[in-house]
Amino acid sequence: MQIRFLYTEAFRLSAIYAGIFALSALALGSVIFVMTDRAFRDQVVQFSRADIAAMRNGFDADGIKEAREVLQQIMGTPGESDFFLLQKDGKKIAGNLPPMPAQTGIVPLPGSGRGHDILGAGDFLEPGLYVFAGSDLQRVHAAEREILQTLAWLFALAMLLAIAGGTLVSRSFLQRSDAMARACRAIMDGDLKARIPVRGAHDELDRLAGTINEMLDRIAALMENLRQVTNDIAHDLRTPVSHLRQRLERAREDSHETKDYAEALSAAIEKTDEILQLFASLLRIAQIEGGARRADFAPIALGPLLTHVRDMFGAVAEASGHHLELRLNAEATIRGDRALIIQLLSNLIENAILHTPEGTGISLQLSRAGERALVTVNDDGPGVPREEHAKLFQRLYRREASRSQPGYGLGLSLVAAVAELHGADVTLRDDNAPGLGVTLSFPVILPPGAA
Amino acid sequence: MKILLIEDDRETAGHIVHALENQGHSVEQVHDGIAGLAQARASEHSALIVDRMLPGLDGLSLVKQLRAEGRQTPVLFLTTMSGLDDRVEGLEGGGDDYLVKPFAFSELLARVNAITRRHGEGEPTKLRAADLEMDLIRRTASRAGKSIELQPQEFRLLEYLLRNAGRVVTRAMLLENVWDLHFDPRTNIVETHLSRLRSKIDRGFGAELIHTVRGAGYILRAD
Repeated sequence: MQIRFLYTEAFRLSAIYAGIFALSALALGSVIFVMTDRAFRDQVVQFSRADIAAMRNGFDADGIKEAREVLQQIMGTPGESDFFLLQKDGKKIAGNLPPMPAQTGIVPLPGSGRGHDILGAGDFLEPGLYVFAGSDLQRVHAAEREILQTLAWLFALAMLLAIAGGTLVSRSFLQRSDAMARACRAIMDGDLKARIPVRGAHDELDRLAGTINEMLDRIAALMENLRQVTNDIAHDLRTPVSHLRQRLERAREDSHETKDYAEALSAAIEKTDEILQLFASLLRIAQIEGGARRADFAPIALGPLLTHVRDMFGAVAEASGHHLELRLNAEATIRGDRALIIQLLSNLIENAILHTPEGTGISLQLSRAGERALVTVNDDGPGVPREEHAKLFQRLYRREASRSQPGYGLGLSLVAAVAELHGADVTLRDDNAPGLGVTLSFPVILPPGAA
Repeated sequence: MKILLIEDDRETAGHIVHALENQGHSVEQVHDGIAGLAQARASEHSALIVDRMLPGLDGLSLVKQLRAEGRQTPVLFLTTMSGLDDRVEGLEGGGDDYLVKPFAFSELLARVNAITRRHGEGEPTKLRAADLEMDLIRRTASRAGKSIELQPQEFRLLEYLLRNAGRVVTRAMLLENVWDLHFDPRTNIVETHLSRLRSKIDRGFGAELIHTVRGAGYILRAD
């Protein structure tokens, strides 16, 4: 469990980076080492050359004797070459090295001089008179060792940091992915309110967590909706179904003649149709809310459509003592589903007809406000108290006053669902004039070239 | 009429067969799509009643197949709870009408009658029943030679009744075909418009032409 971080992606990534870093550090170290080494050796050779030049000056001025004096003088001076040899025809004249075969140019002497490596330069002052000056490489080797050690320490430190960093990063990554997993598991276990913690760092993980949380919110909203509808259906179906049952039971007890049975059956069928109607309405709203129909949208000219609706309900309104008036203040074309818009307007107008007393005037109006088409269904009846406005569009909400009238309180939820599908805002009139006014604001289609 | 019923729910199928036979039709029934297609190809029928959801081959594909083979037998689709798009899809797929289960048998009978009439009939320009006449081109109507003024929706209503003269049309059929309404309104649209139409074409004339058939719908008939 403790080494689980070794298997995380973050740790794997940091290990790879550490490896690459190690390789480049090694390459860099080697280059530095080689270059420093070369610089040291060049310096040694230069010292030797300078010493030989000094002896040549002495020889040029005053012959072998002077060269020998210069040699002995330099040999005691610190910071100059360490080893010297002046020999004539293979015989040593001065210096601290044994005679050796004459070599000119840069001369390495591995292992000579008290077991140390010597690097130096050799030259002839005159034919047969050979001079050599060189330095012990011991110091160079020591410097090189020091450089190597420093590099090794730096390398080890870098590796340590890389590994520690990788572990730290992967630990924090693990912690956060664990938090995500915990939240998901909590949700699976039924806590739909659980959410993935967001650190506020605005990094990829936070963005991912945010997106997942949004998705969870949406799912929770849908679930809540579903739960509510299921409850409502279960609850609201009980009433008509128990009515149906009571009627059938009573028919069985009280019926004596065929006629009684026939009547009871007709009533039962009617009641069943009501229940089926309720089902159909709920399903329809659910489908509209699912948004499945948008693919079938076509342009709809609202003027002719409103005229059609007015013609449909004008006579009905009149028959119930209402007056339905159409006002077309503008023309507008929207994209939508004709049948659904007709149903939406029908529901609003039927509400006004069914829930206002005789003599109430109802108006159906079309106007424009910029790129919105405003369709208003207005009545001057008793209206609905402002505090009830928000509840009106809830599924199966029925005002106390209308409980005795037919219906299941689905009309306005369908209005809301259709409006939402069409991107239309629904507002209720909020002034002190009497009655209820519902305004739908649809986005219009602009004719080509108008925009 | 000889009707082929393709319906996998045997209980529903039994009821439908019973209702249709009561009306004097002869009914063949099959219970899956493959057998249905074979049976529809094997002999001529006056109408097909096809469930949308069938084992083997679904109803829509079955009808599309028949139409592709050039068979024009009228088709009434049956479906359980209506998907909003199912209706359009069914009609575009070659169905002549669409009925959502559960339905009243009077509704089924009326619709089967209506689709069998619709077939093989040219588009008339004039409709007539007894002394009632409609000119569909000039948009005029008259009874016993007296011109009758009709509102556009009254005109469509009368036209639909006349096209189906002698047959019962249901409330739902009127709502769908005259007003393009595919739901059950809570107000008496059909009744109100019919009563207005009646007052125009029946009042003051000898015999009533539009009759109410209790529990079924309406019929325009010259007695």
